[in-house]
Amino acid sequence: MSEFEKKRRKDKMKITAISGISLCCFFIIWYVCTAILHLKPDYILPSPIQVLQAFYEKLGTKAPDGATLFGHIVASLKVAFTGYLLGALFGVPLGIAMAWFRRVDMLVTPLFDLIRPVPTIAWIPLMILWFGIGLGAKAAIIFVSAFVPCVINSYAGIKQTKAVHLWVAQTFGASRKEMLFTVAIPTALPMIFTGLRISLGTAWMTLCAAEMLASNKGLGYMIQLNRTIARADLIIVAMLTIGIIGTIMTGVLNKLEGKLVKGGRRS
Amino acid sequence: MKKKFDPEKVLYATASIVFFFVAWWFITTFTPAKNTTPGPVEVFVLLITSFTKPIGEYAILGHLIVSMRRVLVGFGCATILGIILGIAMGSSKYAEAIFKPIFELLRPIPPIAWISLVILFFGIGELPKYIICGIGAFTNVTLNSYTAAKNVDLQLIGCAKMLGTSERGIFLRVILPSCTPQIFAGMQVGLSTAWMAVLAAEMVGAREGCGWLIQRGSDTLNITLVMVGMIVIGTVGLILATVMRAAERRLCSWNVMGE
Repeated sequence: MSEFEKKRRKDKMKITAISGISLCCFFIIWYVCTAILHLKPDYILPSPIQVLQAFYEKLGTKAPDGATLFGHIVASLKVAFTGYLLGALFGVPLGIAMAWFRRVDMLVTPLFDLIRPVPTIAWIPLMILWFGIGLGAKAAIIFVSAFVPCVINSYAGIKQTKAVHLWVAQTFGASRKEMLFTVAIPTALPMIFTGLRISLGTAWMTLCAAEMLASNKGLGYMIQLNRTIARADLIIVAMLTIGIIGTIMTGVLNKLEGKLVKGGRRS
Repeated sequence: MKKKFDPEKVLYATASIVFFFVAWWFITTFTPAKNTTPGPVEVFVLLITSFTKPIGEYAILGHLIVSMRRVLVGFGCATILGIILGIAMGSSKYAEAIFKPIFELLRPIPPIAWISLVILFFGIGELPKYIICGIGAFTNVTLNSYTAAKNVDLQLIGCAKMLGTSERGIFLRVILPSCTPQIFAGMQVGLSTAWMAVLAAEMVGAREGCGWLIQRGSDTLNITLVMVGMIVIGTVGLILATVMRAAERRLCSWNVMGE
């Protein structure tokens, strides 16, 4: 092993060590501020150990918010997937159709531009009034939040197909349909996946908002209810759960993208 | 790129928008949906009158200004902090080693999930709203500045070094400009996230602002008010995005990203 490689290895270990120490510091400061100094009362800022305890308790008990942690997770995921899959199912084909057929583009794009700037959260009251506070309203809200990025990205993806590629296909006698399925859609796939990833993020975020405003189960509801009874430990448990599930979902989607998208740049 | 005037396009656009409003009017006049949903005329009338007639404490412009102030203060502070932290993490490996684990731990939590904790901490005054908007903008700006600073072309830095530029010169003249386009893309996303976060924050706990407006409409079963609120919110969102894009054209005209 050369001198240079040794030095690089040592550097890398040093960096990892610093990272570890920094994370430890974060938790130690948190612990010192809460459990030893009591800067804030326990119900506003619990110590990390209290949060862990709350997490263990929450795995088994239903009090105080009516479901175990697992029950909340299942409720949230059910809503999120219903809305997200519907949004992707309608959004991606619509985006492709808008980019591929001129007439559809001219007809739908103005309407889409009219609706697009309204943030999804602003739809929540309307959806609740239309669909009640059951699965329907929340799924509808998440549908909107997933639908918009899917359409935008599929549209942009198809539009960036190089004219030369289409000409080549045409020269070799490809029909319009073949050109769409063998040239344009594979070109657009990386962009479409970016859209799916973005909309997964927004869908997950919107879900929290929807559940905070109208729900009786789910992680967002858990956050909201525990605020009214000042159980900050459970709020933090719910926040971390939301973060972890979000990370896992993005990871799964990235894996899927790696499997499905051949070649091309990953944007 | 200049847009050519295309009569066919204009025709189709007008047709589809007219169709939308006629369908809306038709559904809300002749079908059972009229009991729950107001027609376009009612919404338009309320939109006009709400400019002079106050809802709650202010007329509609008052609410807008309140919301805007929250977004801009939160966004401004978060952008400055985010750029500093992001570039520090991207250009120094020690800063990266220290801050990245904590950042990665907190980043996946959406700003809206912070609302409850922030309200418990700081009450329901102005500060919690600034903070929630700030969180929304901060993660996006930091992440983009970080990746931008990490991916600065090493040849450019090498060149500047060879030509005798000081460390400070390299930072100001090479690293910073080459990060600008990507930072702007992050700021665009951050601004719209902040706008969304302020709505959520106002819907959960506030007495004024655009988010409160639609929540109030929902609480009093006044769907017309909800729709007026949505129109105003959408318009403001559009204006914010346009302003950001114009600023980007001015400041980094050599490389327009984030369309």
